[in-house]
Amino acid sequence: MNPQNKLSRRRFVQMAVLSAGGLSVFARCTKAYSDWRFFTGSEAKLMDALADQIIPPDDWPGGKESGVTNFIDKQLIGPYIRFQDTYRKGLNGIRESCKVLYQNSFESLDFDEQTHFLELMEDGKLTGDLWAGNFDRTFFKLFRDHSMQAYYGSSRHGGNKDNISYKMLKLDYPLIIGQNRYQN
Amino acid sequence: MRQHSKLHKLIIPVIILFLVVITAFGSFYGYWDSASPSKTCSSCHEITSSVEILAESPHRNLACKECHGTAFSNGMHSLKEKGKMIFEHINGRSDEDIRLNEAQILEVMNNCTRCHKTEQARWLSGGHSARYKDIFLNEKHNKTEQLNFDCLRCHGMFSDLNIGELIGPLNTSGPWKIKINSTESNPVIPCLACHQIHLLGSTHQNPDYSNPQNASYNRITHNPVVSFYNRHDKTHIPAENLPLLEVWDCNRPVNVSSDPIMRNCIQCHAPNGKHEAGTSDDRTPRGVHEGFSCTACHDPHSNDARQSCAKCHPAVSHCKLDVTTMNTSYKDRQSPHNIHWVSCTDCHINGRPLNRQKR
Repeated sequence: MNPQNKLSRRRFVQMAVLSAGGLSVFARCTKAYSDWRFFTGSEAKLMDALADQIIPPDDWPGGKESGVTNFIDKQLIGPYIRFQDTYRKGLNGIRESCKVLYQNSFESLDFDEQTHFLELMEDGKLTGDLWAGNFDRTFFKLFRDHSMQAYYGSSRHGGNKDNISYKMLKLDYPLIIGQNRYQN
Repeated sequence: MRQHSKLHKLIIPVIILFLVVITAFGSFYGYWDSASPSKTCSSCHEITSSVEILAESPHRNLACKECHGTAFSNGMHSLKEKGKMIFEHINGRSDEDIRLNEAQILEVMNNCTRCHKTEQARWLSGGHSARYKDIFLNEKHNKTEQLNFDCLRCHGMFSDLNIGELIGPLNTSGPWKIKINSTESNPVIPCLACHQIHLLGSTHQNPDYSNPQNASYNRITHNPVVSFYNRHDKTHIPAENLPLLEVWDCNRPVNVSSDPIMRNCIQCHAPNGKHEAGTSDDRTPRGVHEGFSCTACHDPHSNDARQSCAKCHPAVSHCKLDVTTMNTSYKDRQSPHNIHWVSCTDCHINGRPLNRQKR
């Protein structure tokens, strides 16, 4: 067995107890089917619009088509579980602010209006309790960084669909490099 | 005496508890092992997308356990993996990436050969059926090039071990030994190196015979069958998403076939880091065969290229020579004219055959 895969006794007991408990509650696991893991359907639509603002489509697919929302959704129930509340609060803030400023949802705004709104966010100029403590700037930076990670990271994490950014950058991925050869 | 009665009092509840747990767990396990996947494994939210892909693939009739095993097969791996999924689930996290270990991969391979016997026979007859001992105990190779982690990219890509745990010593003097004997005869390039089970596809159906001439136009125009297993990411990349090789013959870009299967071949039969044609293990066709895909001549499973000339050539070439008897590496391994890059000018210098120029 791979030494890296060795289980400690404590970890084994922990997992065995939880597994047994988990098995007994399986029958009651009746969570409604959703296309998304963490986001609601409307949050996912908003995320798609935000992703296309951060990485606008041109000759190459943008943030939405390259799976930015899928990446963030996947990470939020994994390594980025600590950002769940931030996203829920931030997306709600965008929804509410757009209602006040434009009487419309962010997704329904035209592209330039969306850009303008995000510029206000980036500069920390949105007002209201929802954005107290420069949360607008913090949240903008967070989803911008996560969008970049999605677009340029490995597709195994849920973004960069079909390795699209690597193709755009003409990057060999996986790396094409042969072994050294010698005369037989 | 008092100790003895205390022990008695403890033993009976423990036995009862043990029997209850065994009965409950046994009944649950029996149900889980026999019920339809839609009522068991695939009812988990975490693996919905994998289940959906499988449902559309040609392998949709395979039950999950046929490849992934049961909780108790493959030693601790399955139990650990499934336990981890439940642990994560209860903690509000999700672990949807199920990875097979090497033992499971070899079991999957046994399943593949239940139906794909012809492919198995061809694979066995070719170079890709090499075993760990064939690759890693080759003295000549090991003395010339030191074993390193990157060997496992193309040979032993599913190994649960890293190169140092698999073989030693890691130097060019040897003697080398595979550290775990049971691994020696395992194949280093199993079916799943180039194929995946959860492949995208569409259900097969008969063509519309009311207009047979349209049958070929209704076929899919992409090739979902081949996928490269990327050890680094522990995931398959469909061949169509693999990069198209740019290779240079001095300053000239070589025309490379865009065939997805060839992109898969190139992942291992690759040129050096500068992508110079003919370096390292590159066999990208140039010369008279430039632009050809590997599969134009080689069978994908056996790699056999014998009899392939007839696919394109008339028996006799423009030179009025049988192409299979010309002085190339197709006929003779020692020939200076490698069939992968033989060019007209190898023989026809200044437009004239070499033998006539001497006159």
